[in-house]
Amino acid sequence: MTPTPRRDLLPGTLDMLILKTLTIQPMHGYGIAQHLQRLSDDVIRVEEGSLYPALQRMRQKGWIRAGWRQTPNNQRARYYTVTRAGRRRLGDEQAGFLELVRAIGRILQPD
Amino acid sequence: MREWLIRLRDWLRRDRLDRELVEELRFHREQLEREARGAGAPPEAAAYAARRRLGNQTVIREEARDRWSWPWLDHFLKDLRYAFRGLRRSPGFSATVILTLGLGIGANAAMFGVIDRLMFRPFPYLRDPDTVHRVYLTWQDRERSRTSSAFEYTRYLDLKKFTTSFSQFAGLATRRVAVGLGDASRERPVAVVNASFFDFFDMRPALGRFFVASEDVTPKGANVAVLDYGFWQREFGGKNVLGQTLQVRNISCLIIGVAPKGFVGVAENEPPAVYIPITTSAGNEPFQRMAENYYRTYNWGWMSVMLRRKPGVSVAAASRDLSQAHVRSWNAELALEPRGTPAAVARPAAVAGRLRTPAGPDAGLESKTLLWVTGVAVIVMLIACANVTNLMLARVLRRRREIAVRLALGVSRKRLLAQCLTESMLLAGLGCVAGVAIAQWGGAALRHVLLRNISALDVVTDSRTLLVAAGFALAAGLLTGLAPALLAGKGDLAGALKAGAREGGYHRSRMRSALLVVQGALSVILLVGAGLFVKSLEHVRSLRMGFDAEPVLYATANMRGMRTTEAEQETLGLALLTAGQAIPGVESAAWVSAAPFQSSSSTNLYVEGIDSVRKLGRFTYQSTTPDFFKTMDTRILRGRSFTAQDRKGTPLVGLVSEAMAQALWPGKDAIGQCMRVGNDTMPCTTVIGIAENAVERSFSGEKGFMYYLPIAQYEPGSGYALMLRMRGDPRPHQETVRKVLQAVMPGQSYIRVQPFDEIIDTERRSWKVGATMFVAFGVLALLVAAVGLYGVITYNVAQRMHELGVRIALGAQAKDVVRLVVGQGVRLALVGVTLGLGLALFAAKWIQPLLFQQSARDPATYGLVAVLLLSVALLASALPARRATRADPNSALRTD
Repeated sequence: MTPTPRRDLLPGTLDMLILKTLTIQPMHGYGIAQHLQRLSDDVIRVEEGSLYPALQRMRQKGWIRAGWRQTPNNQRARYYTVTRAGRRRLGDEQAGFLELVRAIGRILQPD
Repeated sequence: MREWLIRLRDWLRRDRLDRELVEELRFHREQLEREARGAGAPPEAAAYAARRRLGNQTVIREEARDRWSWPWLDHFLKDLRYAFRGLRRSPGFSATVILTLGLGIGANAAMFGVIDRLMFRPFPYLRDPDTVHRVYLTWQDRERSRTSSAFEYTRYLDLKKFTTSFSQFAGLATRRVAVGLGDASRERPVAVVNASFFDFFDMRPALGRFFVASEDVTPKGANVAVLDYGFWQREFGGKNVLGQTLQVRNISCLIIGVAPKGFVGVAENEPPAVYIPITTSAGNEPFQRMAENYYRTYNWGWMSVMLRRKPGVSVAAASRDLSQAHVRSWNAELALEPRGTPAAVARPAAVAGRLRTPAGPDAGLESKTLLWVTGVAVIVMLIACANVTNLMLARVLRRRREIAVRLALGVSRKRLLAQCLTESMLLAGLGCVAGVAIAQWGGAALRHVLLRNISALDVVTDSRTLLVAAGFALAAGLLTGLAPALLAGKGDLAGALKAGAREGGYHRSRMRSALLVVQGALSVILLVGAGLFVKSLEHVRSLRMGFDAEPVLYATANMRGMRTTEAEQETLGLALLTAGQAIPGVESAAWVSAAPFQSSSSTNLYVEGIDSVRKLGRFTYQSTTPDFFKTMDTRILRGRSFTAQDRKGTPLVGLVSEAMAQALWPGKDAIGQCMRVGNDTMPCTTVIGIAENAVERSFSGEKGFMYYLPIAQYEPGSGYALMLRMRGDPRPHQETVRKVLQAVMPGQSYIRVQPFDEIIDTERRSWKVGATMFVAFGVLALLVAAVGLYGVITYNVAQRMHELGVRIALGAQAKDVVRLVVGQGVRLALVGVTLGLGLALFAAKWIQPLLFQQSARDPATYGLVAVLLLSVALLASALPARRATRADPNSALRTD
């Protein structure tokens, strides 16, 4: 089995993906990384190095909230929850992004 | 906005956030490790793989930390801590700077508090204060220009009728009358106002209502009263008083409302206790003639007018409109009294001026003096700033090596500048705190000593004053920090690094010398001002006023609006006089119809051979009892005083002042001459004596002419006060005299006794204020300048120790060294003194009107100040000079 080639994220999409992930349920940083990797069939590999600064930034913007909780394995972990402002932001970004993708698609595959 | 709040919170708990991030990363790493182990990797390999996946944790932490840190804030705090440490290390320097700035800021805050309350502060609740004015009428009277904000009710009605530029009008006056009944009655300020007065303000009554136009009508308004909030709280305990009655003078008023808290109307001093309709007050005047005619004749000027410009009307246009109205009103007056001055000669005009009279065109000497004193406070501040700049420059020069090292180590010049400014700002901030404390304390002292009429001078709770103090501190911080900051930022790095303590600095003191010269010059100006005011005060004090009031008590009978007949008033006067003369300690007493500075009477005077006596000047008379001249110690130069034998039915007699005798009968003997008082058909009043000239209305201004008539012969009912000459200090007798005289007073009327000196003191106050404040600030300035000079010379000597040592080694005597050092200080002082004297001469013409019989270019004062300043300079440089003589030639030679 040849490993799937990993692709870099389009700039600006990380925030959107994190927000989307957190709408499912509150998660800790590791969980977010795992989730993105799994769902994208390992195509998207989140750099832990950029994940944490992004989380700090989003927290300061008021899109997500952070709090310490126990994991199912009874470990202390910092869980992130999406706020209402975060959901609004996600909606905006998602709409914009899908429009962009459709436009690009039309150019790449003209009917 | 929200984001900034979160960031600020993050910044405050940044250490915790950092710890949390570390823990979060550890958790992530553990999970990765577990995952790898689950995939079958050995523990070390798993740990290694996890660490590799996670990447450089330090970088992550730093990146995250940037999100919750504010570099400039961190820098600022670091600078602040650095500055604090620096100041703690040199407590002498810090204390000097803080105290110097504190004195400057404090002086300004206190003075601002005074003049702001006196002239600028808008009245509470007043809507659009910028469009509200007071009317000042101007006209020419015997070649003199006159301005007054007090005029007749009739005039007010004219102005209202003849103008179109104003949307609101209100007439107002404050009268001190008895309020309350029986023992509870006190003399209180009562505002008598039009009903329209309340419409100038945005407010609702705390209780009840204000009076309305239908209750404020000529000839006599309704007997209603609105209470001041404070008065209501104090006297009625804030209870429901609506429907109760309150005695105001001779009017029994129904209380219909209470003004809101903090409302003072347009009171400049004490807020009024009660507001009543102006027509109610005037219509109930005890003098029938006034009560009946106040709104249709022009001989009782007692009230003032405030008005509001219509939108779009400029102040100049408003004044023009008022001026033409004043002309028409003047002509209306002439129609009633054809003997008045024609408008073409009197040139009546008007000004829509400031609502506060001390800021208006007829402001008194005192408020003008206070404005000058405020200017002086600013100069003190400048001197303080110059001094602090000097000290800071010295500090920077001392730290040149340290600064050079830091520059060499890569500290940016911008950061260095920021550090310097932080330090000066910190000092200014601490100075501000000291200043507010000084102003609070000084303001209380100021009020106690000089300005009893200013209601409160609290600084700590007054936002306007605090703001000004902060503004001054900010300016001081920038001003004193900038020069040192620039000096620190530039400069030759390598040179400073190489040089030892003996080089550098000395040659760079040109700026410091300039600052010293400026300080010296400003001090000279203040001291010259101080000298001039002190001399003025001396002149006023030593002035022979034409009487000696020091041991005199002044007892005024307040009839509380009781209408007395002439005979009753005469009887009362005699009774009071008899009672007064019997009091032990009373040397003599007189019943008077006028008192200097308090009241005066005038009437028409006819002298044969003189067309119009009025044109010669102002003639006022005093009808009194025979002992008047003895009581007031007014000297009779020739002739005699009248006696008990000059009574009703005997030939009319009188005394005239020396100046009056010369004016009416130049070159002739006035004694035996005839003058007709009141009417040209009256029999002769024969002049039987000539009295010395006496001050009548004011110290400055025109000189009037006085004449004296026996009250038994002329207007026996016009007496209203008793003058009592005591043996020695009158103050201890005050209460005894009041009790004895009160027993004589009928009904609700009462007697008020005060030392006459107090009245005169009030008149002298502007010079007292000027003298006290100029001296205080002048001495302060001199002290600060002396400390500055001392500091600079000392510093220079320290810098030149090596050079001086070489000089001594080469054979210089101690006196040569002293001459060198002292010469430097005195040279600087000389330049400063010359500059200061020049500026003072230049400013003389503006300060001249504030002085009393004192030239503002008095050579003696200027000379004295020059000598004083030079002596101080000599002293300030003599101390460092002595140290200079101890320069050690050995060590000087050895270091090279």
